[in-house]
Amino acid sequence: MTDLSAAGPALPRPGSAKRRSPLYLAWRRFAANKAALGAGIILLVIILMAIFAPLVSKTGPNEQAFLTKALAFPSSEHWFGIDDLGRDFFTRIVYGARVSLGIGLSAAVFSLLLGLPLGALAGYLGGRFDWVIMRIIELFSVVPPLLAALLLATLTRGGVWAIVLIAGLFGWVNVCLLVRAQVKSFREKEFIMAAQALGASPWHIVWRHLIPNSVSPVIVGFVLAIPLAMMLEASLSFLGIGVQPPTPSWGQMINVGMNFMYFYWHMAVFPVLALAVTILAASLLGDGLRDALDPTLKGR
Amino acid sequence: MLQFIIRRTLSMLATFFVVSVIIFLMMHAIPGGPFDGYEMPLPDNIKAKLMAQLGLDKPLWEQYVRYMWGVFHLDFGVPYQSPGETVMGLIAHAWVPSLVLGGLGVLIGAPIGILLGMAAALNRNSWIDYLASGIATLGLTIPVFVISTLLILVFAVWLHWTPASGWGEPRRWILPIMAYAAVPLATYARYARSAMLDTLNKPFVTVLRAKGLSERRIIFQHVLRNSAIPMITIFLPMFVGIATGSIFVEAIFRVPGLGAYFVSSIQKRDYPLEMALMLMISALFCISYLISDILYALLNPRIRLGGKAR
Repeated sequence: MTDLSAAGPALPRPGSAKRRSPLYLAWRRFAANKAALGAGIILLVIILMAIFAPLVSKTGPNEQAFLTKALAFPSSEHWFGIDDLGRDFFTRIVYGARVSLGIGLSAAVFSLLLGLPLGALAGYLGGRFDWVIMRIIELFSVVPPLLAALLLATLTRGGVWAIVLIAGLFGWVNVCLLVRAQVKSFREKEFIMAAQALGASPWHIVWRHLIPNSVSPVIVGFVLAIPLAMMLEASLSFLGIGVQPPTPSWGQMINVGMNFMYFYWHMAVFPVLALAVTILAASLLGDGLRDALDPTLKGR
Repeated sequence: MLQFIIRRTLSMLATFFVVSVIIFLMMHAIPGGPFDGYEMPLPDNIKAKLMAQLGLDKPLWEQYVRYMWGVFHLDFGVPYQSPGETVMGLIAHAWVPSLVLGGLGVLIGAPIGILLGMAAALNRNSWIDYLASGIATLGLTIPVFVISTLLILVFAVWLHWTPASGWGEPRRWILPIMAYAAVPLATYARYARSAMLDTLNKPFVTVLRAKGLSERRIIFQHVLRNSAIPMITIFLPMFVGIATGSIFVEAIFRVPGLGAYFVSSIQKRDYPLEMALMLMISALFCISYLISDILYALLNPRIRLGGKAR
């Protein structure tokens, strides 16, 4: 027996020098997308500020430490000014990021917990189960999410967890559809047939083979669910049925700020910008990840 | 084709039935009855008599049937916030401003969006493409109430060009229409771009070019017509979808339309009005999806012959 690899140095071993993991390729595609990269960096800064909020600002979000200077305009001491109740507005905005991002992330996790198993099972089993899931999704598509969320929020009288549940309830549909499509296209592949022939249970096939192969739609669905949930939270809080004061929420601050904005512009401008920048960054990041992880989904 | 229409209609009716049951049950899930809130509680026998008079002692399914029977006769009951009129009467005068605003917003926003999307598709990766994508992303991600607040700040508070809110003279319509137009503009900019690009990459366009047709004829006679199909079919659902955005626009600009009543019905817990509006909007969504499915099948024979829509 001759060692084939010793046949000669002239032949490059296939894939030794130029082997690129799919993750590396995805990262290269992502890094080439300047908008998504910038959005990711901005979002990272916002997340870090939210996590280290107590270090960013000396006072607490609900401390009325500057009552004598209430409604003061932005200055070098108070970057975003003081609000109507004597609280440092920059502090409020930073702590508002905690609420907004926290709700966005928890709702995305909840959407994933609902959408991933249902989508995978619907895609794999097909038939009656798929039919039922698709009819349920059709119901969700007929009712505008915001209207239904308004109704649910009035029933539950708002609160952080109610909003997370509501946002998850409407967020799982996208995750479910993405996962279902991916699983459906993998179901007929040879390695699945091999697993079936070896007697693997449907649950084993879905869990060990189909879900790991659906990682990219799952990541995309997860990231895109975040800005949607943040938007829902801000909208509900804006109407006064979302996060209740004194918990700082950007939607709520915009609502208050609108009453003051004719004379105190900073009360409206900063929460509006904070919300717009964060939601925009989150959705640009999601779009970029989608294009990078699964180029076939581009432009959907 | 007829079979296709019948099948879609039946499935939409079934969907609407389930939605109406869910809305009805949700309304009944609210704790407390209509006669529990008085400072002097009613004696039990009187309460029972009142409940019987109003049909509230009947089983839930019978109440549902009675309610829907009323709905089919356009009787949605009496709104709590103005007991002098019916829900139907209130909706009858409230839909006018909503329709004027929404209609103008779509009529202004959609053509601009289509032109923007077309220009972007024809000049790929140029500044106009980036501008169109940027506007589309902004319009679709930033909540309407953020756009509205910014509009008021810039045009009413800082520049003093327009009044900040109100309804009446057309001068006051400018800002709300701009806020309304943002979503259709963004939606169409994105759709028109991707539809045009899709068609431009089709082999038949290459054939037309090979035949030596002028670029102008290719674009206007062939590409535009073929990419119009998806644009037509999203029109109705988008038009109804504006109803959601109108809630914020009307509340912010103090327009006495359906959206403003929806917000006040939520804040005042005016359940009959809330339920009527929810049912109407869901019904409109069902109908618009149905029509756009049928339109799609009519315009695109491939779908019809394939036998399945969407």
